Amino acid sequence: MSEAATETGVPDVGANNLLDARERARLAARRRRGAVFRWLTLVPVLLAIALITTLFADIAIGSISWQVIEANNSGQDFAWSEGFRPLGTWQRVVGLELVAQGMSEADIDAFFGDSETVRKFRARNRVELMWSVNGRPLRWLVTSSRDDGVDDLGLFEGWRQRSELLASLEADQLLVLNPWFDVAFLGKNASRTPVMSGLMSALLGSLWVIVLVIVISLPIGVGTAIYLEEYAPDNTVTRFLELNLRNLAGVPSIVYGILGLAVFVRLMNLGPVILAAAMTLSLLILPVVVIASREAIRAVPDSLRQASYGLGATRWQTIGRVVLPNAVGGIVTGIILSVARAIGETAPLLLVGAAAFVPRLPESPLSPYTVIPIQIFSWISENDVEFPHVASAGILVLLVVLLVLYSVAFYVRRRFERTW
Amino acid sequence: MSQAVPKDHETVRTDSIGAPEAVVAIRDFDLWYGDFQALHNVSLTVPRNQVTALIGASGCGKSTLLRSINRMNDLIPGVHTRGVVTYEGIDLYDGAVDPVEVRRRVGIVFQKPNPFPKTVYDNVAFGPRLNGYRGDLDALVEKSLRSAALWDEVRDKLRQSGLGLSGGQQQRLCIARAMATEPEVILMDEPTSALDPIATDRIEELIHEIKQDYTVIIVTHNMQQAGRVSDRTAFMHLGVLIEEGPTDVIFTNPKHEMTERYISGHFG
Repeated sequence: MSEAATETGVPDVGANNLLDARERARLAARRRRGAVFRWLTLVPVLLAIALITTLFADIAIGSISWQVIEANNSGQDFAWSEGFRPLGTWQRVVGLELVAQGMSEADIDAFFGDSETVRKFRARNRVELMWSVNGRPLRWLVTSSRDDGVDDLGLFEGWRQRSELLASLEADQLLVLNPWFDVAFLGKNASRTPVMSGLMSALLGSLWVIVLVIVISLPIGVGTAIYLEEYAPDNTVTRFLELNLRNLAGVPSIVYGILGLAVFVRLMNLGPVILAAAMTLSLLILPVVVIASREAIRAVPDSLRQASYGLGATRWQTIGRVVLPNAVGGIVTGIILSVARAIGETAPLLLVGAAAFVPRLPESPLSPYTVIPIQIFSWISENDVEFPHVASAGILVLLVVLLVLYSVAFYVRRRFERTW
Repeated sequence: MSQAVPKDHETVRTDSIGAPEAVVAIRDFDLWYGDFQALHNVSLTVPRNQVTALIGASGCGKSTLLRSINRMNDLIPGVHTRGVVTYEGIDLYDGAVDPVEVRRRVGIVFQKPNPFPKTVYDNVAFGPRLNGYRGDLDALVEKSLRSAALWDEVRDKLRQSGLGLSGGQQQRLCIARAMATEPEVILMDEPTSALDPIATDRIEELIHEIKQDYTVIIVTHNMQQAGRVSDRTAFMHLGVLIEEGPTDVIFTNPKHEMTERYISGHFG
């Protein structure tokens, strides 16, 4: 074969080669370089995955702790469903425990009738959902008073010292694994006692704020986008507006907090209420909502508008029947992502007066409030070994809420995805 | 290639159309995009129930002229016009005339099939629904699809997306959609330039069939097509209407030297 090639004067390139040796070597080098860059682009992705996993794991681990607790109780635990009528009340389980300790109905009534006893009981005792040491999971265990110094150990630390701890347990003491993030956590209001602390008021506050932010920013944002895309003439004023819109999207959120404080809280005299917070956060996300909506509207092909006009549609009919239905996916995605940003905002709300402690649940837009990130912030600032666990549980809830929102955005984008 | 034409060129006319036969009459029509004048003093009369083809090289203003007939050019910022376009004797550019009304009487089909991302049924029903159609919508949709020679192919797919049809079917769907508003004139802006030869054939057949009920004005780059489908042809060059007349005259015996050169493929 190679002899024949030499005879005919054709360079020997082998049976399967289209190129000569030098060109093949160069091609191989090109491919190697491509492979290197391919791996290089993979590095940030892997780094991001690793970081997110670490974050999640760290928070999840932080929300569980080993504790040594006093257990001079009846030793009985109760089905966890008992504690949820209505959600988060501890009296019912305590009542059951008191019955188990042999108290009569009258004594129990007297117990709950004495406000001083109840106050002390609330402050010094706890009723929790926990993994029972008896191997019966998800039960209420009523534990009794505890000292100021709690033996509180992290998940790994506690596991390492488990045998020593168990050996050193005194009578009536129990070593329990306390999951701070449980169903009861969502149902309890804020409290000075870590074990009694819950996310209820912050969760409701965040919910109120989200709903109001959507109600305020959706019509204004989409309306502005429609005007700028479909009606506004292309002149200096419009271009100036457009430039400012992009700049506003990059303004630090604390600046919006200052604006909200000056205008909504002080000038409009709303005070530190949900409505002021919702209006401030709406201002914060409006530029992004407008930009996302404009892009969605612009992505609707002009040929569809032409078709609509050509059939005798007015401008408004064209917007309502052709432009908006085809832009709704992008608009909704933009709004959800913006709202997700608003949920996580802390700085502007600190300025417009979100409270660290809200004794009563918010019930109207004019109620004082707190939101999840503020609540987490205030828990972390507490000087107590147990509050960081509560904060971790709060962060888990916040992450779950964000995850749900991003999933909805993902679903909406897939559902309304169109190719022309 | 392009050749200067005097802007005050007197259009060469063969067998001029008299007023009684005219559906659309354009008289001394000028159009500017901003400072650029795209149409120079165009006058053209379009006879009822015939197919009129507008031909000419790219950028000669034939699409602009077509879109002037149902005021689609109004949507482009910076357009202004002078002159008269009448439809059934009414001046469409009169201040009292609503362009939306004009587009209901004069339908348009575009170069690229552009069905809405809706069902076949909703595509056809779009026009009638805009005005709150009170009659039997199902019957109107069926009639329009039959007129567009599409009914047999889509009768079982009425609830499926119009985007799922083939290119040629989509274009016929667009024609059906235009017919559903019951116009008298249908403008077609290079309706087959995005289609394969077989689909083109079907559209051309369709144009033949619908001219009993409609007046068709078609812009085309394809001179064979103009020759096949049209009764009259108008040749434009750089915004000036050079010559118009019966198609066989334009194609076999053009009076103007530029028309002859364009027809024989020497420029454009």
